[in-house]
Amino acid sequence: MELLTALTVGFLFAVGIFQMLRRNIIRSAIGLVILANAVNLFLLSTGAYDGLAAAYTTSTGQRSDALPQALVLTAIVISMGGTALVLSMLYIISSRYKTADMDEVRGLKN
Amino acid sequence: MDFIADNLVLLPIATPLVGAMTALLLGRFPRARAYWSLGVMLLSLAFSLLLLWRVTESGTAVVVQAGGWRFPYGISLVGDPLSALFAVMAQLVLTLGLIYTLGSKDAVITYRPFYPLFLLLATGLTGAFLTGDLFNLFVFAELLVISGTALTAASDDRFGTEAAYKYFYMSLLASTFMLLAIGSLYVSYGTLNLADLAARIADKPDGILLAPAVALLLATFMIKSAVFPFHFWQPDFHAAAPTAVSAMLSSVVVKVGVYGFLRMTTLLFVAQAPLIRGILIILGVIGVIFGGLSAVGTHNVKRMLAYSTLAQVGFILVGIGWGTAPAIAAAVVFSFNHSLIKAAMLMLAGYVASRAPVKSAAFDVVTGIGRYLPAAGFLFFMGGLSLMGIPPTNGFVSKMLLFRSGIDAEGYVPLLIIGLASILTLVYVIRAFQLIWWQAPREGAKAKPGGDSLLAPALLIGLVLLFGLWAEPLVSVATNAAEWLLNPALYLAAVAGAGG
Repeated sequence: MELLTALTVGFLFAVGIFQMLRRNIIRSAIGLVILANAVNLFLLSTGAYDGLAAAYTTSTGQRSDALPQALVLTAIVISMGGTALVLSMLYIISSRYKTADMDEVRGLKN
Repeated sequence: MDFIADNLVLLPIATPLVGAMTALLLGRFPRARAYWSLGVMLLSLAFSLLLLWRVTESGTAVVVQAGGWRFPYGISLVGDPLSALFAVMAQLVLTLGLIYTLGSKDAVITYRPFYPLFLLLATGLTGAFLTGDLFNLFVFAELLVISGTALTAASDDRFGTEAAYKYFYMSLLASTFMLLAIGSLYVSYGTLNLADLAARIADKPDGILLAPAVALLLATFMIKSAVFPFHFWQPDFHAAAPTAVSAMLSSVVVKVGVYGFLRMTTLLFVAQAPLIRGILIILGVIGVIFGGLSAVGTHNVKRMLAYSTLAQVGFILVGIGWGTAPAIAAAVVFSFNHSLIKAAMLMLAGYVASRAPVKSAAFDVVTGIGRYLPAAGFLFFMGGLSLMGIPPTNGFVSKMLLFRSGIDAEGYVPLLIIGLASILTLVYVIRAFQLIWWQAPREGAKAKPGGDSLLAPALLIGLVLLFGLWAEPLVSVATNAAEWLLNPALYLAAVAGAGG
């Protein structure tokens, strides 16, 4: 289970960073979203015991740490708000320039 | 009064937050909304001054364990000498920013969410300074970033949205870095409370993920305060924001990173501090040179001042990098003074732009306009003197303290370089002054009547002169803070000793 989590986090990081480096601004924004999710998964795994035990159960025995789950919940909400803001600004920019190519958005170059 | 005394750390954060919510309710009454927000900021400023007074008086930190949780388990809010001083700095400049807003004619100010967002900016900034928990710092930094972005994206400037997007993208990246650092520290040490974390790192300096956490936190704070390799979003962002907002962003908001560096080198990573300090000195020196040169070559007053922030933050970083008590005190004084100067200068640039024939701060447009604006010229000149570090202004005090601490710390090479590079400040300030106030206006170019109010920059320049002529209280508070910082055991004892 640890191996699977580690591989998933690593894969998401790779995909996220690759997409971030693309010239298409929408792709690069999606790359950022993927990266945020990779980090959330990483944060979650810091408190997991085997990745299978729940944080709160009535049964005795090994449990997962509850704090990272609270952290990740906050992080998810914040990254969702961030994504919404990014997408709304992208909408304004892409409809103003009629393109999604980063090099065509050149208003600030002078 | 007991309530105020018990929750003194909480109040400077909670007041603007509650104020933002109530300001939203006043949606249909624009004047009432504006004056309500100003009242909230003034109250909040009073609380943070009270906090600073109590911290200075008692010589220890004022701590609240949020929610009554016992020490390492809950979130501690800590007002120690450094964070109380930074909170006062933030709230003072933000209050003056609101005063500028009241007299401003920008269209963005009439939007309903403007004042609530401004107050949220205040909440995020004060919270980031006063929190004693790493994850809480992340949350407040996000609040700051989101409100700053929204304020800039709605700017009157055509390129506001693009600049805001650029900033927000970088900031989201920074928050990813910060979350990674938080996860790494948590997995190695099992806590996120700054005091507890510092104690455990000192106990066991070989945590598995400590090195990546240090690097990631360093990168995070570099993005936050636009340190050299991560500065590229900053001039666009600060130039495109509405004047009142850009005066905040370029003065107090960049200090979040400075605060982070101070905490990293003196509290969290004391063992790694020499390496971090070395990096900060190198990047600071590069920032001073690069920022100065770029400021000389710009075509826009606001952009010039944004690049100047890059240079001035460089000076502060070099001070943090020397790391002795006088150098840290100098860095703190420099941060405080720079906030006042830069806010005043950006407001004056915004004022000149608002009186220009076309609303713009580009040198092409504002050349010669100064002939009609003598009062602004006087204020700009005083602010310019302060930026260069010439008496009787507070800029002189901060530069003198910094250079003297550099001699004490025997950092002669960086000292020589930043000393020479500060001549660049002279060049760009004089150039801007000459273009706007000395040159003849272009044919037919005349200042428009009306425009923004000069009250807020005048008050700020008044403070600049006051802290130049009567620097002793600020310097003694900063020296006190530096000594406190260099003895992290005091911080640990104060936070651990505070009951829930």
